[in-house]
Amino acid sequence: MTDFSIVIRSLFARRTLTLLTVATVAVAAGLMLVLLTLRDAGADAFRRGPGTTHLYVAAEPSPLTAVLNGIFYANPPRNAMPWAKYRQIAESFPWEWAIPTQLGDSYRGMPVVATTRDFLTRFQPDLSGRWRFAEGRPFEANFEVVLGAEAARRSRLKLGDAIILTHGSPGSRGGDVEHHSHEHDEFPYLVVGILEPTGTPHDRALFTDLESSWILHAHDRRHHADPSVTMTALEDLLDEDRLITGIMLRLPTRPGSNVSPAMQQQFDALRRDTSIAVAQPEQQIDRLFAIVGSIDRLFIALAATTLVGGAISILLVMTGAMELRRRQIAVLRVLGFSRPRIFSLVVTESAVIGLLGAAAGVVLGVLGMVIASEALRSTLGLVIPAEPRLPWILIVSACTVALAALAGIAPALTAYRQPVAGGLRGVD
Amino acid sequence: MIRPAPSETAVVAASPALSIRELRFRYGRSPGDGAPFELDLPELSLAPGEQLLLAGKSGSGKSTLLQLVAGLLDPDAGSIRVAGVEVHALTGPARDLFRGRSIGMIFQTFQLLSGFTAIENVMLAMLAANLPRAEHRPRAAALLRALGIDRPDRPVDRLSVGQQQRVAVARALACRPALVLADEPTASLDPENAANAMTLISAACRDNGAALLVTSHDPAMADRFERRITLEARRAEDPEALAR
Repeated sequence: MTDFSIVIRSLFARRTLTLLTVATVAVAAGLMLVLLTLRDAGADAFRRGPGTTHLYVAAEPSPLTAVLNGIFYANPPRNAMPWAKYRQIAESFPWEWAIPTQLGDSYRGMPVVATTRDFLTRFQPDLSGRWRFAEGRPFEANFEVVLGAEAARRSRLKLGDAIILTHGSPGSRGGDVEHHSHEHDEFPYLVVGILEPTGTPHDRALFTDLESSWILHAHDRRHHADPSVTMTALEDLLDEDRLITGIMLRLPTRPGSNVSPAMQQQFDALRRDTSIAVAQPEQQIDRLFAIVGSIDRLFIALAATTLVGGAISILLVMTGAMELRRRQIAVLRVLGFSRPRIFSLVVTESAVIGLLGAAAGVVLGVLGMVIASEALRSTLGLVIPAEPRLPWILIVSACTVALAALAGIAPALTAYRQPVAGGLRGVD
Repeated sequence: MIRPAPSETAVVAASPALSIRELRFRYGRSPGDGAPFELDLPELSLAPGEQLLLAGKSGSGKSTLLQLVAGLLDPDAGSIRVAGVEVHALTGPARDLFRGRSIGMIFQTFQLLSGFTAIENVMLAMLAANLPRAEHRPRAAALLRALGIDRPDRPVDRLSVGQQQRVAVARALACRPALVLADEPTASLDPENAANAMTLISAACRDNGAALLVTSHDPAMADRFERRITLEARRAEDPEALAR
């Protein structure tokens, strides 16, 4: 028998009320945890997306749109650039690499990135490392495709499978898939590689070579002109078929550094070309966060308010319990419990409710994160880990317990001040 | 039978279990003019192991006196010593701890804590008095066994009234107190059970070396005690003290 046993017994004695209070606190703590974790994980996912890209060029109306569509695959880009533009930009400066990309096709709603092998061998999706293959290898020949980790998980494809791509994507050109997309069953693609997860939007994409994509679209053009055309090859391509939607650029840097002194100069030089939008992805992401920052703060404030509401419910429950426990407190005082000891029993009881609420909140938070991460993965393509981060778990738990203990102070003071005689019945 | 440890017996033998001098205390309100009552007790002493009945009508100040002795109320004047210690010279947690260790209390309605078992109720007293934890369970079990409780792990709410009273007695004796204060312990019982209960309390205190101060307004109890005093309520302005 310890003082803590008294606390536990007291909570157990009014277990229904205790459970309801714990549930209230748990929902608040869980919500807070989900929001904080989502905020960080979302920010990380956004910051990882551009990887080692310094500049992104597209024919989109704004740099932010270019980054969202070209790197985060929010929507298929609306405008394309000729291959000559890529050559012009690639040759304008000794870039470390200049990687062309073309977006617009899809597989079961997942974006297909037509690009060069450099995308998988030189571009790094994350500053901390290169692509890693779970299975297989990069594409080498035409009509070979590599799957991002999430794309592989969702499609359940394996090495050696053949797939048919859809020309057009859900949401392309107004999102009318029925009217603007069709399948290229003449050109099956062979799955040759599956990538490890990177925690970036690239995980839900498929990667293939540019020439195959050009052939696909050239075939459309030729078949439209002459329905008897059944096959198209590299030799049939015209300049108008050789289109790209974006160029990822990296300037030379010193080993171990991601910063180039020539960045601003090249950025300004490219911006003189009014036919393209030039974006520094990191700046655009900061801009995006600035736009959504107030909403983000609103959510955190709401969650904090919920947490404070949880603490207030503890305060009310504990205050109500004090009325019912006047006799118990009086008996404990008679037995020799001092006022400070009674005070600490009540505060501990309140803190235990907070602790139980925090623990249940972490469980709810984990469940919430699983649901939220799945929803974000399927709707926005944001791949974020479902596990709440340990620092947030510790901070939210500590805040919950501290708030609960704080909420226990007022009823503890009531117990502290309670005269013993008044709490004992049968006293004349 | 539980007997006090030899060292404690020595302390108890050295001083009266209770010694009151020139005690004055105003309490309550007269229903007529709202003037306070006054408790005025020039002298009262209780030797170690001695038993005394404090008789008087309701409102005469019996329970108030017990609360003064227990240090739950502070007197307006006078001295109260329990086992040689001036109770009201102690303050705060020291007084609470002294009460837990030296004074046992038994109430009319037992005041056992529901949600706890019989043995836990007894152990709570030892916990309050900060006695070594290893002693709690064996001593509580021995006390309950001696008082005829054969199922000490049963919640007190499921015990009969008679068993609850035994648990209350065991709790009062748990810390080997020098003095047990019993406040109307038989008031809610029929005459036969009241007699049995008082026999139990009296014997248990005697067996454990504790002095006993019992309040009762039941005239039938008077014959059971060799020493008894009667308290009568008086208004504060009444010049005569009525403690006899």
